[in-house]
Amino acid sequence: MILTPLNAVLLGVVLLLVVGFYGLLITRNLIKIVLVLQILVKAVVIALVLGGKASGNLGLGQSLAATVIVADTVVAVVALALAVQVRRRVGTLDLAKLSSLRG
Amino acid sequence: MEVLYYTLLGLGASFCAYRAMISKHLLPSTLYLAGVSALVTVTLYLLGAHEVAVIELSVGAGLVTVLLVYALSVVGEDVIDRTSIIPKPLAFLIVAGIGGLVIWMAYPLAIQPDANGEVLLANVLWKHRALDVWVQIALIFSGVMGVLGLLSEKVNPQGQETQAHEIHASSEEHGIAMNCQAIQIEQELPV
Amino acid sequence: MAAILIGFVIGLPWLGAIVLWRTRDENPRLQHTMAVAFSIAAGVASLALIPFASAETAISVPMGRYFGDLTFTADGLTVTLTAIACVIGSLAVVFSVEYMHGEQQLRRYYSFVLLFIGAMTGLLLSGNLLFMFFFWEITALCSYALISFYNDDPKAVAGGIKALIITQVGGVGLLAGALTTYASLGSYQVSDLLAKAGTIPVGLLTVIAFGFLLAAAAKSAQFPFHTWLPDAMEAPTPISALIHAATMVNAGVYLLARFYPAFKSVPAWTMSVMVIGLLSALISAISALIATDLKRTLAYSTVSQLGYMVYAIGAGGVFASQFHLLSHAVFKALLFLAAGSVIHSVGTRDMRRMGGLGGKMPFVRNVFIIGALALAGVPILNGFWSKELILEVGLEDSPFWAYALMLFGAGLTAFYTFRMVWLVFFGPERDHLHVHSAGSAMKVSLGILAAGTFITWLLFGGLNGLLSSTLPFHELEHETLLEMITAISSAPATWLALLVVALGVGISWVRARGFQLFGGGWLSPLVETSFGFDSLNRIIAEGVSKLAGQLSLTQTGVLSWNVVGILGAFLAVLIFLVWSV
Repeated sequence: MILTPLNAVLLGVVLLLVVGFYGLLITRNLIKIVLVLQILVKAVVIALVLGGKASGNLGLGQSLAATVIVADTVVAVVALALAVQVRRRVGTLDLAKLSSLRG
Repeated sequence: MEVLYYTLLGLGASFCAYRAMISKHLLPSTLYLAGVSALVTVTLYLLGAHEVAVIELSVGAGLVTVLLVYALSVVGEDVIDRTSIIPKPLAFLIVAGIGGLVIWMAYPLAIQPDANGEVLLANVLWKHRALDVWVQIALIFSGVMGVLGLLSEKVNPQGQETQAHEIHASSEEHGIAMNCQAIQIEQELPV
Repeated sequence: MAAILIGFVIGLPWLGAIVLWRTRDENPRLQHTMAVAFSIAAGVASLALIPFASAETAISVPMGRYFGDLTFTADGLTVTLTAIACVIGSLAVVFSVEYMHGEQQLRRYYSFVLLFIGAMTGLLLSGNLLFMFFFWEITALCSYALISFYNDDPKAVAGGIKALIITQVGGVGLLAGALTTYASLGSYQVSDLLAKAGTIPVGLLTVIAFGFLLAAAAKSAQFPFHTWLPDAMEAPTPISALIHAATMVNAGVYLLARFYPAFKSVPAWTMSVMVIGLLSALISAISALIATDLKRTLAYSTVSQLGYMVYAIGAGGVFASQFHLLSHAVFKALLFLAAGSVIHSVGTRDMRRMGGLGGKMPFVRNVFIIGALALAGVPILNGFWSKELILEVGLEDSPFWAYALMLFGAGLTAFYTFRMVWLVFFGPERDHLHVHSAGSAMKVSLGILAAGTFITWLLFGGLNGLLSSTLPFHELEHETLLEMITAISSAPATWLALLVVALGVGISWVRARGFQLFGGGWLSPLVETSFGFDSLNRIIAEGVSKLAGQLSLTQTGVLSWNVVGILGAFLAVLIFLVWSV
């Protein structure tokens, strides 16, 4: 792979994604899941801007990235509110114990 | 030269992300996440997306960090067994597979910046994709509701049912089912 | 003008459904009145639409790139069936005023009936395949809701669910056909499919043709999907008359008739259609011979007559099938409503407990006999003319063995019909039942339908003209009434058929004087399980249940495993992408 600057950015994105996916699989704490999702979102944001730059349409890339940031921040907010509620009602944030949707 | 910057930024961001994921307590994780956000901001700035870089910094390093810290203070640090539910080799395999295949598919690419086309964010956002703005407004509205859900517990620390109704009314699509289930289980907990 | 009337025909019943949903169950008189008013208004609108029938699209609303245009076309075929649906719908509603007197939850009943009438007319008028599917599904929903109307009765609920599942399987066929059409032609319009069927590659056209055949067979309770209609008789009788005799089950026949020009060149399609019609006609006629439940017998009879219509389409006689559809709708609704009067007054559906009711219910007995004569195919009544037309088409255009079997079926029809008549209205009283004569609301509906059986065949000329002039793709020949009468009266096939029918009637009269009507010995266990098809259904249902139970093991409830699922699927997609490159 020829290491153009934008290729380097792409590799960085893939690396962040890999770390994020691994974290998503490994972690057991509900709040840490929210945190890992944020990492994935940042990777996506860079990817969108990268796409915009590569196709010349940087304005569109930025616009989409802004929308994604807003959307995923709202997701984080709601998810944290839910995590707090779960902690309050069920008593634990451990994923292994939160399996009431079993079967 | 640019290649070096981007590579360093990429490695740095990944390293911070890894530390965030690995660390034992949640507070250092939050700080590492802020670090990731900062490095991502610099990357975005170097790519030429100035406005988004600013948004990313203020939202990612600012808002999300504050949010996480607040949630942690409300919930408290739990001692949770750190062994993962999924066997680690399986997780590693899946993730390595995904990463490897994506690199394989991207291998022949040689991405170059293209100079034609619309560059200004303001033009695009307000003229061509005006619908996005409405969507964002709706999203922010639901986010506010979520924050209210986060905050409303504090009003009555005895943990009574009335709060449950407030939360139920204010949460949006993502969590109504889980809330209803959680509400069924009454537990007295030291908050 | 046609556009406005189409709007009325679909919109008025739906408006009525909404209005009725808002009424309260404490005021049944208001509910009855409003339901009757809306359904009669729809009936009048549908009759007014007839003069405006034309092959052009009446309404066209663009719905965006992915759905095509929402079009409504009121050509001859559509307008006839719409009129049948709305007029018989209004008669069934009038009948319901008395039949459902004192029932609970009338709001639910009338809303669904009106919703159904609107959806049925929408299905018929629709010129867009995707929206036809949409209306198709609404009729299936209403059918389910109305079959399970007495939802405290587990048999009713089971019958409703069975009907729903089987017709939904058919719906998949319709959807697959619609999507394939869109993929081949880029349009969902019915007129496009009819015009350009020749340009679609044969493989895809076969998929569309058999998908539509699947949908039609499931909806019209044809072989191998014939098991749901007898079980759907748990519905209140006006519903059986409306949905399961006069309208919804005709949707399948309509589908086949509408798309016949497009599919007739598909290899084996017309033969499949003919065989399906033949098997349905015979199997259900045999089942009707030994059925003991009055409505069940009528249900078997419906499947059998629909089999005749489907057979006619397979043989190429689209007009004959539609003519028989008109006759059948009238006399079958008549039979069902009359049976409803009987059931309403004596409180049971079991024919073994009835007998000798004719003296106490003279009006009902008379109209029932008229309907039975029409069903059996006795001259002068409308059933005779349409059945003869079908048999003639069969003689000319289908293999001789098929024609012979259908002729035999006509004899069977006559036999079981008069067995039914005799068991219910004549002979000794087998049980002490409280009998009262039908009330005025019932008599009105019954009288109008009975008059219809004498009259509708006279519309042959007008119907033929309407269809041949507004259906450009079907290439129908124009015949007048007089030509038809002379053709049928002089054809040898007719006299042969009359002989068979007379034989059937005669044998049933002779044997009925004896007994041996129930328990047909070796036939009984076969019919009990619908010739093995009920056990097939049960095996399929149980198999799916077991599979679902085993698959539920994957729902561990733990988030991490769900993430494994997501990422694993993503990995699979990536592997597929890399492999295919």
